[in-house]
Amino acid sequence: MTAEVQPGPQPVTLTVDGRAVAVEPGTLVWDACEKAGVFVPVYCAHRKMEPVAVCRMCLVEIGTMPKLQPACATVVQEGMEVRTQTDRVRRFREGNMEFLLVNHPLDCPVCDRGGECDLQDFAQRYGPPRSRVPITGKVHFDKARALSDKITLDQERCILCWRCVRYCDEITGDRSIVLQERAVHTVIDTFEGRPLTGEFQGNLPEVCPVGALTHTAYRFRARPWDLQRTVSICPGCSYGCTLGVDSRDDEVVRFVSQDNPEVDDSWLCDRGRYSFPELNRSDRIRAAELRLEGPLRQVPALEATAAAARALALVVEQSGPGAVAVLGTPAMTNEEAFALQWLARGVIGTPHLDHQLAEWPGLDPVEFRLAVADLERCDTVLVLGERPELATPVLSLRLYKAERKRGREVRRVAADPDPAELARTVRDRQLVGVVAHEGDRDAALRVAAALAPVNREVRRLTLTEGMNGRGCKDLGLLPDLGPGYVAAPAAGMGGRAILGAAAAGRLRALVVVGPNPELEADPAFEAACQRVALLVGVTTVPGVLSRHAHALIPGRTAVEKAGTVTSSEGRVQPVRVALQPRFGTPPPELRLLVEIGRELGGRWTGEPRATPTFAAIEAALPAYRGTRGGLRAAWPQWERPA
Amino acid sequence: MFRELIGGLRITMRNMLSKPVTIQYPEEQRPVPPRARGRHILHRYDNGLEKCIGCELCAGACPVGCIYVLAAANDPAHPVSPGERYAARYEINLVRCIYCGYCAEACPTEAITLGPRLDLADYKRERLVATKEDLLESWPGFRPTAAAPGRPDPAPRSELAAPSPTAPVARSATDTA
Repeated sequence: MTAEVQPGPQPVTLTVDGRAVAVEPGTLVWDACEKAGVFVPVYCAHRKMEPVAVCRMCLVEIGTMPKLQPACATVVQEGMEVRTQTDRVRRFREGNMEFLLVNHPLDCPVCDRGGECDLQDFAQRYGPPRSRVPITGKVHFDKARALSDKITLDQERCILCWRCVRYCDEITGDRSIVLQERAVHTVIDTFEGRPLTGEFQGNLPEVCPVGALTHTAYRFRARPWDLQRTVSICPGCSYGCTLGVDSRDDEVVRFVSQDNPEVDDSWLCDRGRYSFPELNRSDRIRAAELRLEGPLRQVPALEATAAAARALALVVEQSGPGAVAVLGTPAMTNEEAFALQWLARGVIGTPHLDHQLAEWPGLDPVEFRLAVADLERCDTVLVLGERPELATPVLSLRLYKAERKRGREVRRVAADPDPAELARTVRDRQLVGVVAHEGDRDAALRVAAALAPVNREVRRLTLTEGMNGRGCKDLGLLPDLGPGYVAAPAAGMGGRAILGAAAAGRLRALVVVGPNPELEADPAFEAACQRVALLVGVTTVPGVLSRHAHALIPGRTAVEKAGTVTSSEGRVQPVRVALQPRFGTPPPELRLLVEIGRELGGRWTGEPRATPTFAAIEAALPAYRGTRGGLRAAWPQWERPA
Repeated sequence: MFRELIGGLRITMRNMLSKPVTIQYPEEQRPVPPRARGRHILHRYDNGLEKCIGCELCAGACPVGCIYVLAAANDPAHPVSPGERYAARYEINLVRCIYCGYCAEACPTEAITLGPRLDLADYKRERLVATKEDLLESWPGFRPTAAAPGRPDPAPRSELAAPSPTAPVARSATDTA
């Protein structure tokens, strides 16, 4: 690890190329150089890993030390004089670059890393004009070897920086990549040649400074200059990892991680990283279909919303608002959830509203108190069952970091452990974290209640399903609670009950906003769709909903719309438009929902766009005030004891 | 006065009897200077494999962005080009192109050169976006004009350009020991 900056004693002052700089004691020279604004080339050093100083690229002159020293592994001392631009350093870098390229195949034109490769960049900047080794005399290794279905290894391109080896040791702890053989024959490979397994393989090509480890899914797909990068939030789960969406020709070609130390710590899981093909589906729904007022026909999206509104008005007039139920999805943005909540409670007037099938009576924000980054501060972290790490895989890396780097106690206990037993062993701690999946909510409640009297503080982190399951709850897409966990005027039916009532014929109209994989997979949903007199569906993905909807309205995928989503820990983060709308892109769901509401006579002030809608959310929900840039919402309920 | 009249008629007579400059374009074409930069040609090796490896360096070097390349992985049993990668799509917008020749400069395998054909005309603008089939050497209507000096294939510069589709792409580490 590169010297974590602690509020410490006296700063150390040193000079880098004559520039004075003051840093914390224990800082590495590499970081001090950066602070002084001096760039030092590195291959093996990585901000999230321990230094090893094997690539020798960062050697600098320090004071009167007789030999050059690795900046990435030398700790600063008072009065140090670091020189990075001397002739000695320059000559050494030239020699080192020539050495690194001795057996490099120089196949940049077919290498996926070409254009964003440190080896190319540093060879241009610091390398010698020519090599003394003829191109025919190179030692050859395996090319294009599949380590798994996700990762391709080219051993010839490897410069043996050990980053991948250290990643498997320090970050994931699975030790699946090792160095083999000796001297010029040294290669990296999987342990005993077994295929790579694990949920975090996609980070390997990102830590690799050259083109040795590459994504199989990105193989030959694009060059960096073809790509447009948009920073957004991973649609894979509710952990809220920041990612870069790289797109080419109106398609997402890869997701890359962006360092958000508070959440993802610069790592992504494979499920999230390789979920982008879902966004490029060629069969996604683009045209609105109407089975109302005549035979099936394709219409513009806004015509379908008007027809849907007319049909809904008829149902409300004939059978009352209680005959309509509204189902959202945990994949929708906060703005959409807010509009859907307005449409259901404010315009249609129905209490039957939910965003998922399972029901959570009396939900309280205290269940989301613990921040992800604070897992590293907990004396003991209790993880209930396997479901938290299955729902949000990157959590595992944070837990491993808390254990390995911070020396915290991480205990994985049963999904429903005996609270009294736990209270006997986990006691007198300053801070205990209880991490549970929302499905094990009752168990977490019991554990927290048992531990609270014997520890100073117990905080809970509840992991929700779907990209924005947390935001949907915060904004009141719940049968019993409105925005801000305030009791709704009238408690309605939850998701499961809505499907049952619809299938039994007690509901006449169903408004479903998708895509909602949980609903699509449930047989009760199809039964409900077949029975209701009016099914209004907004979705992007073909399935049960699109087959049965009387008014099918196309929506936008997670990379085509703007808005905010709230992660499980309550961080409100912006989702940005990565694929610009072009001819044929449907209007965003937010606008569609507002149009339906307006047709029904509802009043929506302001434009149906993300920014003004978030302002409306801030007005309705004080906890969300000023959080839009990626801050955690702070709830007044937190002040009460858990 | 007669002098002037005869002088003028002499010029008229001379031109009347000389060979006309006009040629029957497009059946006849004027010779093109040997280093003229016209419509692009994508070359093949003698064994029929495409020289282009889909690296997109031409597209990167292109100052007007008129080249579009979409690469794909070669099927080792039926390779399109030597090595791992080939251009699945290769398009040049011939109307946007400024014929600067940077693409040929950038090409690591000398797959693309600017050919001698300067006659770019069509009834549809879309047809002036040349596809890979249009540009490849073997396209059915390919006719190098008299002024095109057939360039000999340069010797392969590295293993990238090795024109042997049979050579295995992957070698085992033990071969090198």
